[in-house]
Amino acid sequence: MKVENLTKTYGGRRVLSIDNFNFEKGVIYAVLGANGSGKSTLAKLLCSLERADEMSKITDIGKVLYMPQKSYCFQMSVMKNILLGGRDEKRAKMLIERLGLTRLSASAAASLSGGESARMALARTLMSKCDMLILDEPTAAMDISSTSVSEEIIKEYARENGCCVLLITHSVKQALRVADEVIFLYEGEIAEWGEAKSVLNDPKDGRTRRFLEFYGA
Amino acid sequence: MVLSGDSQLFQIIGVTLRMSLTSSLAALLIGVPPGILVSMYNFKGKNALIVLNRTLMGLPPVVCGLLCYMLFSGNGPLGYMKLLFTVKAMIIAQVILITPQIIGNTESYMRLICDDIRATALGLSLPKGKILLLALNESKYQIISTYLFGFSRGIAEVGAVSMVGGAIAFKTNVMTTAIMNYTNRGDFTMGVALGMILLAMSLILNCSVYLIQGKVNK
Repeated sequence: MKVENLTKTYGGRRVLSIDNFNFEKGVIYAVLGANGSGKSTLAKLLCSLERADEMSKITDIGKVLYMPQKSYCFQMSVMKNILLGGRDEKRAKMLIERLGLTRLSASAAASLSGGESARMALARTLMSKCDMLILDEPTAAMDISSTSVSEEIIKEYARENGCCVLLITHSVKQALRVADEVIFLYEGEIAEWGEAKSVLNDPKDGRTRRFLEFYGA
Repeated sequence: MVLSGDSQLFQIIGVTLRMSLTSSLAALLIGVPPGILVSMYNFKGKNALIVLNRTLMGLPPVVCGLLCYMLFSGNGPLGYMKLLFTVKAMIIAQVILITPQIIGNTESYMRLICDDIRATALGLSLPKGKILLLALNESKYQIISTYLFGFSRGIAEVGAVSMVGGAIAFKTNVMTTAIMNYTNRGDFTMGVALGMILLAMSLILNCSVYLIQGKVNK
């Protein structure tokens, strides 16, 4: 999966500009960066939710699944919401159980709390197979134990399907726990990327270093 | 009037309900899908379409009546259909009047939730037809309100229906045109009585819809 000259401009302001990047199958990438650095824009372009500027090239992307920051809870039960992602009821029940939603599976999705909604949205996204999985801050609303379980499930999903995972997060610690590689975005450009531990423990770029000094690795 | 079984009154009520219920339902079926599509998808000319629709939302009923009259009159392009001074012509005129309101209402509401629905549904790789069905399901409460709005506009409308219907007794006379006729003749008592019946009909429908909305919400 390859992107070449990937740019996005909103009202004359370029918010993303990536010259060249290859996403490898079976690799979990954590995308880090401050607010407005282009993380969500990158996700939306890769899953065709938004159109990139002309001359941008995205090739061999395959089937993309995407969990947005604000996942919508449809007006139906938790189970029915999850089955929107795929018809395999056995898998749905397994995900429901592991994510601690068993007693809520027949409840209306609208009645869930923020953390429960995020768990439901994650289960819904992981219902079917894909070539690229993009998760935009999937655990931002979750407590510590739910975050831990979710991270395990994400890693298992990537291992079982051999797909590429793009995990957008603000948590440096989460990036270290989950990701194989880290992409650090700064004002729409890739400031630094490479093996997660190497980038996060020994950043080469000044912008990455300043970000990590603030957030703490 | 109601208790005495006045045949003309019941005929007027019948025509009024047939016209308003049919025209608002037709406008709903025509107007909701484009309202959802316009709010969910970006395409060239979208803003122009929204502005055009908003302009049509302010279409004066008499202008709509005039256009329909010219369309259906003997020399008009659709004169061969012989629809002028029939309930069908009144329904068509009302559909033209109400549809832009339905599109506008649907678009305004869906605009608030469509980004999240679209991102979530496309993120799950759902087909476009399924996304449209989900969006319809999400807006069912609003659709009922929109229908009620269309019905209220239809039942209270007088300009267009009097022009294309002609307010012919026992044929195309509806509550509003009958009130106008009685008032013109100086029979204010009948006018007020019909006005009260019109309000009562609207009240009954509103109460029914309120109960339905409560069930939908559950």
